[in-house]
Amino acid sequence: MKRKLMSVMLCATMVASMLGSVAVKADEEVDYSGITLEIVSKGLQHQYWQAVLQGVNSKAEELGVTVNFVGPDSESDIQQQVTQLQSALDSNPSAIGLAALDTSSVEDLLTQAAEAGIPVIGFDSGVPDAPEGSVYATCATDNYAAGELAAEMVYEAIQETVVNAESSVRIGVVAQDATSESVVNRGLGFIDKIGELAEADGKTVGLASNSNEKYITDSAFEADDDADVIIEVLVPASVTSELSATDAGTLMDKEDTIAIYGSNEHSANAMITANENRGVLGTGEGQIIAAGFDSGASIKAAVADGTFLGAITQAPVAMGETLVELMVAAALGEEVEDVDTGCQWYTAENMDDEEIAQNLYD
Amino acid sequence: MADKTANKKTGNAFTNNPLVKLIGVQKIVVLLVLILLIVFFRANSTAFGKYSTLLSIMDYTYYLAFLAMGVTFCLLTGGVDLSIGTGMFCYAIIGGYLITHKDMPVIVGILVTMLLGLAMGTINGLIVTRGGHAPFLATLCTMMIARGLGAIATNSTSVTWPAYSAANGWTRRIFKITIGNTKYPLGLLWVILLMIAFSVFLNRTRPGRYITAIGSNEEAARLSGVNVKNYKMLAYMICGLCTGLAGLAYSSAFQSMAPSGGGGIELNAIGAAIIGGTSMSGGSGSVVGTILGVFIMSVLQTGLPYIGLQANYQQIIIGLVLIVAVYIDVLKNKRLAR
Repeated sequence: MKRKLMSVMLCATMVASMLGSVAVKADEEVDYSGITLEIVSKGLQHQYWQAVLQGVNSKAEELGVTVNFVGPDSESDIQQQVTQLQSALDSNPSAIGLAALDTSSVEDLLTQAAEAGIPVIGFDSGVPDAPEGSVYATCATDNYAAGELAAEMVYEAIQETVVNAESSVRIGVVAQDATSESVVNRGLGFIDKIGELAEADGKTVGLASNSNEKYITDSAFEADDDADVIIEVLVPASVTSELSATDAGTLMDKEDTIAIYGSNEHSANAMITANENRGVLGTGEGQIIAAGFDSGASIKAAVADGTFLGAITQAPVAMGETLVELMVAAALGEEVEDVDTGCQWYTAENMDDEEIAQNLYD
Repeated sequence: MADKTANKKTGNAFTNNPLVKLIGVQKIVVLLVLILLIVFFRANSTAFGKYSTLLSIMDYTYYLAFLAMGVTFCLLTGGVDLSIGTGMFCYAIIGGYLITHKDMPVIVGILVTMLLGLAMGTINGLIVTRGGHAPFLATLCTMMIARGLGAIATNSTSVTWPAYSAANGWTRRIFKITIGNTKYPLGLLWVILLMIAFSVFLNRTRPGRYITAIGSNEEAARLSGVNVKNYKMLAYMICGLCTGLAGLAYSSAFQSMAPSGGGGIELNAIGAAIIGGTSMSGGSGSVVGTILGVFIMSVLQTGLPYIGLQANYQQIIIGLVLIVAVYIDVLKNKRLAR
């Protein structure tokens, strides 16, 4: 009950923060029909992007603006994205929306946009380190905060075990990579928060020495295999289902593992695959507490049947809507500022609530 | 076949042993390496020996086994098929999309997956034999086509085949069956049966021998009356069908597949075939060796994380193993040339 209350409260605050930032006034007298928006995403292959597109389309229809939404074939096709951004720029739109795969490769184009006076609005992971003055605002999930939220929820479930443990306990993190801003921050937010909570309970915290270097360096904790609470972060050499599932499997096979977290859809799916042969995840006595990120048919099923304690979902639909609002506002010359489009913790109990269900996809 | 005569020239007590001759030197070496690897990982990690780990290794092996057996046929003719990794994703995504998004029966999804594989294999074969394109170029093009096709047909959505416990999730149970409270790696049986069937086909039937002969010396095969084009075509069609099978195995083992995924997997399959003794230049090799190579790849991939080795070192080790395997192939060819 306490958990449910907390989720509801979190939802409420996030929705409030979302609503508070709406930039465009629903003014009947403004004619938006001359406005053309070009949006370059990271691709359309994930359901997540389809949900962003859904939000973009509904808001564009509401305002009566023209939108062209494109994205490369895969998230590694940097060159294709550059070409798409170039054509977007060539069509001289009122504003450009961009989720850059790689900032340095679009730097020139962003400078050109700034010179031509075309406002660029970043979304999703945005355009980190963009040239001064080119990106007017960004609407994105605060991934670090999302990781922290997952840590709070997981810690609530394992607190008793951690406090009463006589030997070391291990918390596993399955991360897809150590390069993408969103994945890394979701990991770091989780590590820092769960470590902080354990320290508050008088425990020493360290990262397993075989953890990925990037996470060891950037987190608040040092490598220490003798700490009371050991956080082990595994990153596969390449993003394949079997490598990530093997990582998840090695974590589940360790005797002292009490919780495990997968920081995106790929990693959470890998945990489900590894658990199919082991059956160790759950909330029962002696089982490993698991938390995922994003949705998809398998993750939703794992949350619904209690394999996962819960998972974090972003708000892609709201992100799409906010993106269009920001772009229109910027095109009209209004002041725009960054917007956190928020995230939600969903569990078997609340996943059918409308507020959350609209952000879950198969 | 060819390397046996070579071994006679430079043979020693080991290589001239009838049993060794029957099985083949490289296969014995690969098998020993495989056993060594398992013993090594077992000694360094107690968790590696768990039954659940074995089940996982099997899950990650089936699709690679089908892909590698299929591409062995192309390699034997002196060709290659680069479209299999992306193709596997493309066919299984389209098949799965029909089941999950269009509410079609599972069997339709399976048939579509298999037939798409066969169709792409046929197209590959036509481009190579009738169009005269270099195999790597032809299949590179169809790889790109497969990538686009999967995204268009499914409206760019990722697809999850029905779950293990779902009523229509029986494709997953084809590969892993639950009896009582224990799961059994049933897929291993299918892999072994197919391996035996392919071995008999390659060694005991005329079309099988022709496929190897074409790779050994295409001109000689043609002059002795073998319809080179048709038998090459057959090799690519078998490869395509195996790719469809691999798609089923992959979607049964993992959660979701995204269109345009699967790139790079073809290299693992080709690597496994080469570790197992199939020559890059065609004309020699066997599916039994390929399966041993597949297990080397999957045991390495699963075992290295268990001994606490960081991911990037794992890639280096797998790369080194491939260098050694290709070097053995080079040595064999040199001996043949002598």
